[in-house]
This record gives sequence, structure tokens and C-alpha cells, in this order.
Amino acid sequence: MEDIVVPLIAIPTVFIGLPWLIFHYVTKWKTAPALTHSDEALLEELYQLARRLDERMDTVERLVAAEHPQFHPAVPLPNREVDNQPLHEIAETLNRRRDQRR
Amino acid sequence: MNSLRTRFFKDKANGKVMGVCAGIADYTGIDVLWVRVAALVMLSATSGTAFMLYLAIGILAQDKPKELYADRQEQQFWQGVRQSPSRTAREVRASFRDIDRRLAAVEAYYVSSNPRLAEEIEKLR
Repeated sequence: MEDIVVPLIAIPTVFIGLPWLIFHYVTKWKTAPALTHSDEALLEELYQLARRLDERMDTVERLVAAEHPQFHPAVPLPNREVDNQPLHEIAETLNRRRDQRR
Repeated sequence: MNSLRTRFFKDKANGKVMGVCAGIADYTGIDVLWVRVAALVMLSATSGTAFMLYLAIGILAQDKPKELYADRQEQQFWQGVRQSPSRTAREVRASFRDIDRRLAAVEAYYVSSNPRLAEEIEKLR
């Protein structure tokens, strides 16, 4: 009895079920919206632009605050990780150079 | 089809053996330690297959260009893009809105209080 039942289940599973499963996910993956070349370039440009504008805004706020002490910037967010990261990187580089010099 | 930012690279400079684990860590943003632990577990669990896969990736994948990202922030941004492009697009939009808000505050300050005019009046006194 088992000699008939086991192959009867195993063979369709391996030869029909498995390819079905694989091709199901392959088609799903292929129809998923992918990031095209131009999308990527656009995203890169927007990201760099946002960063540059953010830095410019920092400068402008600092200038205005220096000229007019009663002015308070819209978002006084001290110690933001985004702003601190470049400083950490510079500190790291300096430390490394100091170690190399020793 | 896929370009420099979304392609998989092995990272030989930061790697231990061939830099495949470091490359996966760089691609996904997962800490390299956990990738290595997972690789070792796979190595012991799947006798041979994982090793062959590692070798294949190590031989076929290109080495990461040295100056691909300017800094850590940019690297994290592209890791985010590879995980979810729409979420990073929303993040970029959020940063633009942030800048808009701050600029509006500066503009409002100049328009409403008019500090220059106040200065001039102060001088005339």
C-alpha cells in the first residue's frame, strides 16, 4: 500500500508543486515595481539637493540669529544625530591620524 | 539594468575572508557581525551548499568601488533605498518640508517684525 501512496504524493509535489511555487514567486518578483535608472538618478539628485538646502538653511538661520538676537529658528533641535554624524566622522579621522603619528 | 547604487558588491576592504559578508552587510544595512554569525550557522547547517554559494558570490561579485559613497549618511540613505524606495522618497519629501518650514519662519520674522525698519527708526531717534 505504501509503495503506491508515497510516490503518488511525492512525484506531483516535486514535479508540479515545487516549480509552481518557484514560478509563482518569480512572476510576482518580475511584476513588482522596480526602481529604474532615471528614478534612481532623480532620487539621488533630490537627496543631494535636500542636504544642500538643509545646510544653507542652517547658515541662514545662524546669520539671522547673529544679527537679531530676538529671532529664534523654527526648529531648535539640538544634538540631532543627522547633524552630529559628520562631526563624529571628523573626530574619528583625527583620532586615527593621531594614532598613526605615534 | 541595475546601476552602481543598487548593485551588490563584495567589500574586500572591510571583509575577513572574501568580503561577501561585509558586502551583504553594506547592501542591507544589517550589522556585519550578525551577517557573519548567520553565515557560520548556515555553513554548519547546510553541509557544503552554503560554502559553494559563498565561493560563487565571492568569485562572481565585483569588488566595491572605493569612493562609492561620500559619507556614512549617504551610505545609510542608499541602504534605505534598497530596502524600500517609497519610504526613502517619503523621507526626502519630509526633509524638504522641514526646510520649507524653517524658511517660512525666517520669512515670517522679516515680514512681521521688520527688524530693518525698526533699526532705521532707532537710528533716527
